[in-house]
Amino acid sequence: MFERRLWRNLDYVFIGSIVALLVISLIVLQSASANISSDPNYYVKKQILNILIGLFALFVVVLIDYTKLKRYNIFFYLINILMLVAVMVIGHEAKGAQRWIDLGFFLFQPSEFAKTITVVTLAHFLEKRHNKLNSWRDLIAPFLYVAVPMLLILKQPDLGTSLVIMAILFGMLYVAGANNKLLLAIIGGGALVVGLALYAHFHYGLPIPLEDYQLRRLMVVLNPYNDGKGGTGAGYHVIQSQIAIGSGGWWGVGLHQGTQVQLNFLPEHHTDFIFSVVGEELGFIRTVGVLSIYFLILHRMIRIASQAKDLYGSLLVTGIVSMFAFHILVNVGMTTGIMPVTGIPLPLFSYGGSSMLANMLALGLVINVNLRRQKILF
Amino acid sequence: MVININARKRLVFVFFLLAAGLTTVILRLAWLQFVRGAELQEKALNNRLNVMPVAAQRGVIYDRNRHELAISIASDYIGAFPQEIKDSGRAEEIAATIGSILDIPAKDVLEKITRNTGFEFIERQVEFEKAQKIKNLKLPGIEVVPENRRYYPNGPLAAQVLGFAGVDNQGLEGIEAMYDKQLSGEPGKIVIEFDALGHEIPRATHRYIPPQNGNSIVLTIDQTIQYIAERELEKIVNSPTDPLKANIIIMDSKTGEILAMASRPAFDPNNFGKYPSSVWGNPLVRDVYEPGSCFKIITTAAALEEGIVSPNDSFYCPGYIKVGPDTINCWVSPMSHGSETFAEAVKNSCNPVFAKVALKLEEEKPGKFYDYIKAFGFGHPTGIDLTGEGTGLLIPEQQLKPINIATIGIGQGIAVTPLQLVTAVSAVANGGRLMRPHLVKEVLDEDGNVIKKIKPTEIRQVISPATAQKVAELLENVVSKGTGRNAYIPGYRVGGKTGTAQKAGPGGYMDGKYVASFVGFAPVNNPRIVCLVTIDEPKGYPYYGGTLAAPVFKRVVSDVLHYLKVPVQYDENKKDEQPPKPVTVPEVVGRELSSAKAEIEKLGLKVRFEGQGDKVIAQIPKSGAVVPAGTKIILYLQSNPNKPRVPDVSGLRVTEAAQVLEAYGLTLEPQGTGQAAEQNPVPGTIVSPGNKVRIKFYETAREVLGP
Repeated sequence: MFERRLWRNLDYVFIGSIVALLVISLIVLQSASANISSDPNYYVKKQILNILIGLFALFVVVLIDYTKLKRYNIFFYLINILMLVAVMVIGHEAKGAQRWIDLGFFLFQPSEFAKTITVVTLAHFLEKRHNKLNSWRDLIAPFLYVAVPMLLILKQPDLGTSLVIMAILFGMLYVAGANNKLLLAIIGGGALVVGLALYAHFHYGLPIPLEDYQLRRLMVVLNPYNDGKGGTGAGYHVIQSQIAIGSGGWWGVGLHQGTQVQLNFLPEHHTDFIFSVVGEELGFIRTVGVLSIYFLILHRMIRIASQAKDLYGSLLVTGIVSMFAFHILVNVGMTTGIMPVTGIPLPLFSYGGSSMLANMLALGLVINVNLRRQKILF
Repeated sequence: MVININARKRLVFVFFLLAAGLTTVILRLAWLQFVRGAELQEKALNNRLNVMPVAAQRGVIYDRNRHELAISIASDYIGAFPQEIKDSGRAEEIAATIGSILDIPAKDVLEKITRNTGFEFIERQVEFEKAQKIKNLKLPGIEVVPENRRYYPNGPLAAQVLGFAGVDNQGLEGIEAMYDKQLSGEPGKIVIEFDALGHEIPRATHRYIPPQNGNSIVLTIDQTIQYIAERELEKIVNSPTDPLKANIIIMDSKTGEILAMASRPAFDPNNFGKYPSSVWGNPLVRDVYEPGSCFKIITTAAALEEGIVSPNDSFYCPGYIKVGPDTINCWVSPMSHGSETFAEAVKNSCNPVFAKVALKLEEEKPGKFYDYIKAFGFGHPTGIDLTGEGTGLLIPEQQLKPINIATIGIGQGIAVTPLQLVTAVSAVANGGRLMRPHLVKEVLDEDGNVIKKIKPTEIRQVISPATAQKVAELLENVVSKGTGRNAYIPGYRVGGKTGTAQKAGPGGYMDGKYVASFVGFAPVNNPRIVCLVTIDEPKGYPYYGGTLAAPVFKRVVSDVLHYLKVPVQYDENKKDEQPPKPVTVPEVVGRELSSAKAEIEKLGLKVRFEGQGDKVIAQIPKSGAVVPAGTKIILYLQSNPNKPRVPDVSGLRVTEAAQVLEAYGLTLEPQGTGQAAEQNPVPGTIVSPGNKVRIKFYETAREVLGP
């Protein structure tokens, strides 16, 4: 089933970048979480465990030939739906949302896995239709296909993850060869509808399917002090995060030295806002370095996608690129104040078990496609 | 199978899209870390600094003799650090404890100590024992910090001058507000570095910036004089007169220093919140009223200075004066003052004469009257060092009609602040020099060193010293003989003027609503103080300034002069303060002029002749009448009984005039009753015996002390 010679295909730059990123993330996490628990290394230890579990899952994924996944496509799709329905029924509620299933030893977050599973199922779905994505009618099917998991996630509510799934859909449709103009029209039309709906909501009270706090968090990107509480409400995260990053300068204030982080002015600084810690404690140069590693990883993934032996593999990787790219840009954009606060973590960096595991599974798929690329002729 | 070319192309596009996204993010990072770096670093610092205010000691307000009028006493405030309380988990219990000690609802305390802030005041200016109790409990997140509380040891004394300061050491009214910058000093602070949860950071910045205590103010107010004024106001307010308001202001005429400024209704600045805010201000500086006859001082000064009138000029008061279509009544109307000199008109406060004088001044020297009014400081703030000074109301010059000039001449149709009036009268007392009124004498630093002295400022010379002298003499007559008799103080020469102004309301003057006032100064030959008493809306009759305000003035000024140790002096005409001895008038009719004169003068009476010749044919009063020594006996003389000259009988009553005319062999044809005024033929005309002489009589004033 697994041929040893496949290892020769391995992209070491890709692997090296991921390892480097994980190491840096642990160093930053150590500084960011030292003050929020009695054991300064508590979160680091747990994160290392998360990484190890993730690596194990990654290896398992690598061993299975990705093309065989197609056979179980409908199964994956149903599992996905089942998980998301389960979380609605027996989910654990926290911070106003029902996103977790308590497994006793682990708070399992189905929506994190839903993204990866959607990539896998959609890849097969689109591969079958890759020459038939040129009309409005053709596009209805893929949209409906992802709408089911997406709407379930939106219901939790988890706006950020729903948007990730949209990004995945568009990225994969594009590479699958969907009509350019149609995609542009959908994106443009969507933006217009959202804009008009928001305008109508604020000026005429049009009801929209968003909780008040979600809307607030989205709107504070325009002015974080205009959150109805003078910057202590929904705008607080954004303000504190920008203060943290702005305090960094060229080289940062040093690990364990950032007052915004260490004195807890910046909330969620070991999870969603960990990038602000990088900005404050490590400074501009190193922050750009971290971003460069991300860029390198994305670049290598795109390369792997274009070297894939079939469209299915290519689409798998494309979906994962879309997922990662969206996560990175929106998370960093959020911490620097140019994107709304949607609560999506920085992949491979933010503390969190489900996210790490789901991302590792995704990377496993990428490596899988990488290893089983077109045959090299001797 | 190799994926198609199209997919690869599209992946390249995806790559560039990501590159663009990443570039945007990096540019944003650079913007935050370099362009806005300094600003955001500052914010990060402010995030973790928590400031506890340390109040500066507010300066003392002294009276001119360094008696304390306003002081700061130590007290404490109770402050809370809500996060520490939250951490302790005892918020409810703490709220209940503090609430019961401070006697405030625990609910309110709880609301404050659970706010999402760094620091909260729970209660300011807490009594010492309560503060100690709370301090000893050592509750988590609760601090007891010293601060100051303003205390006014004399309570309501001079409240409207002092004003008051609020809990945050900021002056809100009066001197406290006007000199707030001097008094308040700079508050200090304790700066402590805190984390987001409000925990103090060990080894962190912990700075104490000491407060800069405020300067002290020495007022021109004299506590004793202020007390005298307030005492009199208290009396009048509690008397049946029960006025709406009453004010007294006393000024040093030479320097413009205010010695006392008192008003009713008053308030206690220690509990200012319990009084309506309308009484907080200083009505002597803020409110305007129509001064009425008191303003005749200004008319007199202007007319004398411009040579329009001199004290001995004769006038005639028929009880009213017509100005165009309007009629101004004299206050004695329907009676009249008859013929009188200007000096007597001042004494009588005669309206038609003053209206006439004002009109004459305007006619001969247009605009001059208003120039004087302005030169005396009306229509302008005096520049006293208090906030909220009124400017008064003058009819705009271009809208002035003769009727306005006439009424302003008697003090109606112009509105002034009490301070403006007293300042103007002070100029008359001060040889014509108008001084700027002021309340602050010195500013002292924390250690009591004088850092600023406010010197008297002369604004301008309004009238010449000679004119001022003349006006002063006329005003002295008002007090010694005229409508201001009730202000007469034995032993001191007092000059002054009464005023009774009808109050204007919506739609004209209001019936039965008056401001009775008296303004004057003493001693006339070397004035020390000027004092104005106003009584607003007294109840009942009489409501005249001469009957209500003058006695108050007398008591106040008398006490103040004695307090100031102004030497007592008796003027030459009044060396003998005993009333003159009664003398019985002798019979001298038919005797020679020289012997008659000798006999009369021997008895201590005086003689006046009417007519020519050396034989006395009539005398007034008649023999047997008992009169005070010094009374003038009028002797009517005749040389040729066949060619009688018509005698001057003006001032005589009907029966007296009839007697005199009969002695001359003439017949009286009287018109009206009262005192003789106009005669026809005029006195001195040679007529035949038995001729008729027509004489008009007018009823003159009753014995009422007029406005």
